[in-house]
Amino acid sequence: MADTKVAIIAANGSLFDAYKVLNVATAAAASDAEVGIFFTFEGLNLIHKEGHKNLPIPEGKEHFQEGFEKTNVPSVEELIEVAQDLGIKLIACQMTMDVMNLEKEDFVDGIEVGGAATYIDYAKDANITLSF
Amino acid sequence: MESTKVLDAKGLACPMPIVKTKKSIQDLNSGEVLEVHATDKGAKSDIAAWVKSGGHELLQDTEEDGVLKFWIKKA
Repeated sequence: MADTKVAIIAANGSLFDAYKVLNVATAAAASDAEVGIFFTFEGLNLIHKEGHKNLPIPEGKEHFQEGFEKTNVPSVEELIEVAQDLGIKLIACQMTMDVMNLEKEDFVDGIEVGGAATYIDYAKDANITLSF
Repeated sequence: MESTKVLDAKGLACPMPIVKTKKSIQDLNSGEVLEVHATDKGAKSDIAAWVKSGGHELLQDTEEDGVLKFWIKKA
């Protein structure tokens, strides 16, 4: 997988979305793929400095909370750290940040900020593209 | 089976067994064997897939009392 490139769009911000995005991303990076994630709209929650520590469980699915605890699933905080440690590129969408009045400092350290063209340029030679 | 190093990944859920395995194998030299213990049921297929994608070799895998064990020879 050393020559594999994975480009992911994260556009939703619940706890479930965080696991969908981060599990696939970290598994790919742990398999030596080059991975980049573009966070847009609610997806920005996943890298928001405070927000990512307390992501909401989708309404009506609160009973899954127990399952998360029982199965010892890593926290989103831990997965973001793993992602950065594995060299995954985290790109926050500039336009959404402007709409939501967010600055780069509102996010976890080490992210990049870019627009749609940045993502397209990153994804143009990707082997795998995913959208969550 | 002989191993150079043992990784205890029991109790960890996906994707951590893979992440820890990647970290652990970095300390080994080519040809050395990493032994991984896991309880995540998904590890059975995940470790096999990870080994394949990295060009390593899965020498043996066992399952006993809910503990999956893998012996991976580093490429």
